[in-house]
Amino acid sequence: MIIEVLIKAVLAFIVLFSVLSFAGLHAWIERKQSAVMQDRIGANRASIFGFTLLGLFHPIADAIKLFMKEDFIPEGANKVLHTLAPCLSLVFAFAAFASIPFGDVLRIGGREITLQIANINVGLLYVLAMMSMGVYGVVLAGFSSNSNYAFLGGLRAASQMLSYEIAMGVSLIGLIMVYGTVDLQEIVRRQGEFRLFGLQAWGILTQPLAFFIFLTAGIAETKRIPFDMPEGESEIVGYFVEYSGMKFGMYMFADFIETILIACLTTTLFFGGWQVPFMHAPAAYSLGFALLQVLSFVVKVVFFAWLFMTIRWTLPRFRYDQLLSLGWKAMFPLSLANILVTALILLIRR
Amino acid sequence: MPTLTVNGKEVTVEKGSTVIQAAEKLGFDIPRYCYHPGLSIAGNCRMCLVEIEKFPKLQIACHTQVQDGMVVKTESDVVKKTREHILEFLLVNHPLDCPVCDQAGECWLQNYYMKHGLYDSRLDEDKVKKSKAVSIGPTVMLDSERCILCSRCVRFTDEITKTSELGIFNRGDHSEIGIYPGRELNNKYSGNVVDICPVGALTDKDFRFKCRVWYLKASPSVCTGCSMGCNIEIHYQLERKHIAGGDRVMRFKPRENEEVNKWWICDEGRYGYPFIDKNRIHKPCRRVPDPVSKDGQKDMSPIPWDKALDMAAQKIKEIPKDAWAVLASPQMTNEELYLAKKVFGDTLGLAISLVSPNREGYSDDFLIKADKNPNTRGAFELGYNVLKTQLEEMVRKAEAGKIRGLYVFGQDLYEFLKPETAEKIFGPCELLIFQGTNWNPTAARASLVLPSAVFAEQDGTFTNFQRRVQRIFKALEPMGESKPGWEILAGLSERAGRKLSYKETHEIFDEIAAAVPVFQGLTYTKIGKKGAVLA
Amino acid sequence: MPPKTKVIKQRELNFLEKLYIPEVIRGVCITSGHFFKNLTLHSLHRIGLLRHIAAAVTIMYPEIKRRYPHRYRTRHRLTKRDDGTPRCVACMMCETVCPAKCIYIVAEENPDPNIEKQPKTFDIDLGKCIYCGFCVEACPEDAIRMDTQIMNIAGYTRESMYYTKDRLLNPEREGDIVKPSGSLR
Repeated sequence: MIIEVLIKAVLAFIVLFSVLSFAGLHAWIERKQSAVMQDRIGANRASIFGFTLLGLFHPIADAIKLFMKEDFIPEGANKVLHTLAPCLSLVFAFAAFASIPFGDVLRIGGREITLQIANINVGLLYVLAMMSMGVYGVVLAGFSSNSNYAFLGGLRAASQMLSYEIAMGVSLIGLIMVYGTVDLQEIVRRQGEFRLFGLQAWGILTQPLAFFIFLTAGIAETKRIPFDMPEGESEIVGYFVEYSGMKFGMYMFADFIETILIACLTTTLFFGGWQVPFMHAPAAYSLGFALLQVLSFVVKVVFFAWLFMTIRWTLPRFRYDQLLSLGWKAMFPLSLANILVTALILLIRR
Repeated sequence: MPTLTVNGKEVTVEKGSTVIQAAEKLGFDIPRYCYHPGLSIAGNCRMCLVEIEKFPKLQIACHTQVQDGMVVKTESDVVKKTREHILEFLLVNHPLDCPVCDQAGECWLQNYYMKHGLYDSRLDEDKVKKSKAVSIGPTVMLDSERCILCSRCVRFTDEITKTSELGIFNRGDHSEIGIYPGRELNNKYSGNVVDICPVGALTDKDFRFKCRVWYLKASPSVCTGCSMGCNIEIHYQLERKHIAGGDRVMRFKPRENEEVNKWWICDEGRYGYPFIDKNRIHKPCRRVPDPVSKDGQKDMSPIPWDKALDMAAQKIKEIPKDAWAVLASPQMTNEELYLAKKVFGDTLGLAISLVSPNREGYSDDFLIKADKNPNTRGAFELGYNVLKTQLEEMVRKAEAGKIRGLYVFGQDLYEFLKPETAEKIFGPCELLIFQGTNWNPTAARASLVLPSAVFAEQDGTFTNFQRRVQRIFKALEPMGESKPGWEILAGLSERAGRKLSYKETHEIFDEIAAAVPVFQGLTYTKIGKKGAVLA
Repeated sequence: MPPKTKVIKQRELNFLEKLYIPEVIRGVCITSGHFFKNLTLHSLHRIGLLRHIAAAVTIMYPEIKRRYPHRYRTRHRLTKRDDGTPRCVACMMCETVCPAKCIYIVAEENPDPNIEKQPKTFDIDLGKCIYCGFCVEACPEDAIRMDTQIMNIAGYTRESMYYTKDRLLNPEREGDIVKPSGSLR
């Protein structure tokens, strides 16, 4: 029993550590990738003993700065909620990772270890639920700051996130119909087992429309450009305007973590998760093959993280009415149509 | 009385007057340099050339006498072209050093060039060099290059002061204004040549490089230097505190008044402005034994107005009435004098007398009067005894130890008493209240100092030696915490139990007009800017 | 007469553009094209190849300063005569025209009657200056210019932003802190 707990603890530690490091790196990627895309050099001044290490010290300097800054709570703000809000954002973003499978079953010493923190049979619902909870952090920030700007930012965020969560959820129904399960580990496995024109039937092949809807809604969930109406750092002032220091840093961090989460989900749902392309799972799971699967998962996630970053530095921001009409008038009906078409095809094939 | 037509309008003027005057009557401004209404006619600048029908050539408007039926055109094409060419001639040797010239901004070369010139220079030759920045007297600088030889200044020294220091020397292009050998321009009215010089040839040493004229604002007033009451303009600027060490008043200029000073003013009056900004009393002060002063004055400690007035009213009550002497001053306005009499004489029942400094100075038969106070006549008309015996009487009383309280308005007793006599007065005196504008030995001796506003900081009237009542206007805010004299007197009156409801000085003047027969029928509006003679 | 109005029609989007996603992909292709090209170049530069093709247009600012266009308005300076005295004759044109009222001039006599006037103090409060360049345009003597190419004007105190005649005459001596003299407003 203790061994079981230990194994879970180790798995949880590994996931938490990787996500945290990757989120930390995101601050650096954001700077450097945008620079390289725009024919610039990017931040490269922070140095330790003259070593700049491609600007890798900048996120560290950022963190130091954020920790040293005054933690300011505005007059008239609700102190408890004001402090709780960023924590909620972060906690729910982390919690969603529990059911993401990053590998198949690993067999070591007769023990079967599923490479997933919590093997929940309704994993997909769990992830969606955790992501929905994230909106609380945002709304509470706007609500508790005692500032009209923050309040309006919070309202914008709430309506945006609700609108897109519906489209996101509905778009996934088709996927569930195809694979017949809401267990994430099982979905990944079936993506490898099913065949479509002789290829592994990854979500992108069986549900191409759902993929685009999910991707768009996913970016909107992360509140990043072109869907950054809730934050609007550069001009319209967002829900975290009254935050400073590391509490503000927590929101930035939650943003990065959500980006990674969406990347993980896209990989899991539409790109075969830990499936290695063109390789069938051998009967005997070797340690090497398990690692290859994890690597495959990581590569896919990194690709999507890169893609999101590229989109974030390519597109301009939507206007708010455009954003809502896209959500309600285009993506929601399309995802409903997607269900209908999927159902028809499934019916015909039976 | 000939009738003539100027630019299609008919006008009837007196016989013997000139075309320029007739045009002026109709409101046509003919450009001129050498013509000045206060001087003889020279007719050498040629700027005022106008077209007169049946004359073969253009005529100078300043020297052509009007004839019945004359038809004058001042704005025809040929006149305009001629003005442009005349201006081009006048500017042939002009150095165009407007950036360093104090006249810039009030220069008639600049004004007329913008109005009548605006040509492109055709001059290829070198300009004639002449002497620059020459001191020709204690008050005036000469720059011969800028001169257009209108000869106004020469005529002024010949005709008005009759001192004839200036002349025109050399010939042709090399003609220049200069001072006769061994002389300098040091008459009592020398500053006027700067005013009448239409260009920057003669500039004021006192104003030299002090301030650009376009920073200045002007406010009409009356000179307080003597009983002549010359009309002046106070030129001041408040925005740029770095100029002249933060002083507000930059210069005095004469203001035309046919009945009083014509266009002129004496140098003493012209340069008599520094007291407005220098050595002023900023706050009410009380004498304390503390040797450290906060108002820059020994043994003086600033106190709030309320306390100062309370203290004054209290002390006035404490000392017996017959032991009081109140010394009004002919530097005060009619309104202040009237109110002082009302408050001290009627309300408080104290003896108020007018003392006048015995500083009779230089006088002539032109503008400078021996009585150096602006309002002695006004005090007389308001019922004050202005005889010199007043002072002797007061001194006698003081020497007998009968004066224990003294209220002095602005004057420095040391100025007209011997120091030992003054000490005899101040010694036994228990309380000396000084209400005035500037620090002086009497103020320094006082137990209580009440700062009052100078004439440039308040409204009021003065009556000059001709019995002409003339208004002064508030140009500046009272310096520091100082208040106009009438406000201080009203404050004292209120504390003595009689509230006065004046808000403006014209209310006091209306009361004077009602109470004093010679002032009857006068109002501020009637007096206007030119003054009105008493009945 | 009614005002002339020119109606400009917006171009209609075609079907693919309306779909938005193809255009997004096109955009992402352009930006990621730059990304991979520059990433390759950066990597090659590391190992010493293709150094002549620049991967970035960045100028490393404090070490490398580019020359600003000659009409660019940078910190003021007072020009000098051949003998080193200021060309300024204290005509106060700049002081008059200055919309921020940050120029303070006090004039004095110059012993040479052909110059006659010179500034006793000439102060500019750069904390107030808005760099409009009116002073340069107004100057009849070409005595004030904004061509020092000094841009990094900053200070910890208001006084250090207060430039006196001495500092304005010698912009090459930048870095030394000169205490303001004369009237401080």
